[in-house]
Amino acid sequence: MERSEHGNRSDTNTDYLFQLLCFLKLHTYTRVQVSIDICGVDYPSRKRRFEVVYNLLSTRYNSRIRVQTSADEVTRISPVVSIFPSAGRWEREVWDMFGVSSINHPDLRRISTDYGFEGHPLRKDLPLSGYVEVRYDDPEKRVVSEPIEMTQEFRYFDFASPWEQRSDG
Amino acid sequence: MFLRRVARPLMMMAKVKETTGIVGLDVVPNAREVLINLYNKTLEEIKAVPEDEGYRKAVESFTRHRLKVCHEEKDWESIEKRLGCGQVEELIEEAKDELKLIGHMIVWKPWGIPDDYECEVIENDAPVPKHIPLHRPGPLPEEFYKTLDAVSTSTLEDAVSRSKKDESAIASGKQQSK
Repeated sequence: MERSEHGNRSDTNTDYLFQLLCFLKLHTYTRVQVSIDICGVDYPSRKRRFEVVYNLLSTRYNSRIRVQTSADEVTRISPVVSIFPSAGRWEREVWDMFGVSSINHPDLRRISTDYGFEGHPLRKDLPLSGYVEVRYDDPEKRVVSEPIEMTQEFRYFDFASPWEQRSDG
Repeated sequence: MFLRRVARPLMMMAKVKETTGIVGLDVVPNAREVLINLYNKTLEEIKAVPEDEGYRKAVESFTRHRLKVCHEEKDWESIEKRLGCGQVEELIEEAKDELKLIGHMIVWKPWGIPDDYECEVIENDAPVPKHIPLHRPGPLPEEFYKTLDAVSTSTLEDAVSRSKKDESAIASGKQQSK
């Protein structure tokens, strides 16, 4: 399944992801040697809620292609680190932010969240301010995490026009 | 001194390439022989692929074309100019990668796509706003189109849908992205 617009996008099945990327990298007419970005998207309304997006670039033919696969919370995608070595950190980030893990990944650890952080931040069900806050506690002489306490309730601005200032809450 | 006088007319015959201009890609002095070896090896390995697969037809088509050019032209400069596919060192890289890929394909066996399989292509004609630059990829080497013709107007009665779904998707994607 493919879409052609300002750029080309190709959807694939998670089973064939590694093979497709390997083909794209090695075949003479699709020399896609550079992986620009790997990211995830969360569509909570779908059954397979996450979509992992691989942005790729072919310097030989000056063209980009985007390959997308869908995954749910328990699907494990195959790591593409052996094809694109730069993908190591991106896959760690997808794991950290969304919870989409990889089979046999050489190094799957958290990359952007705090050391004891539970949860995956970029999922749509984790609220913007999170669940815990951390502060340095002087009597105990260490950093403690406590459930979050916000003095002001979250304000949602929904202006009809930028000049009207009617805010609810 | 006597050796230098003898060596100078010999040096004039083939221009020595100083550098490829690409970091990490070294000059290969006997590029033509290496290329001929690699292409012959490719044609040997591709025999393990079933006969009517689009992949096999495509690889054989462009490998034979490149091999023919390599046989006909004697030095690397005319090979580069005639093929139009970049430097001979890049051609060597491409040939090596293609050999690796054939090895993978033989293991994975992505054959046997049914004849009426059509890739669902969603066309999105949304106009791009004028201030956004569009980077259209340059024209592909002409042997790509010859290969595409060789695959689509195959000797058997079936058309493009016979070929591997990835290749047809990529080929149509490349053409549409131009």
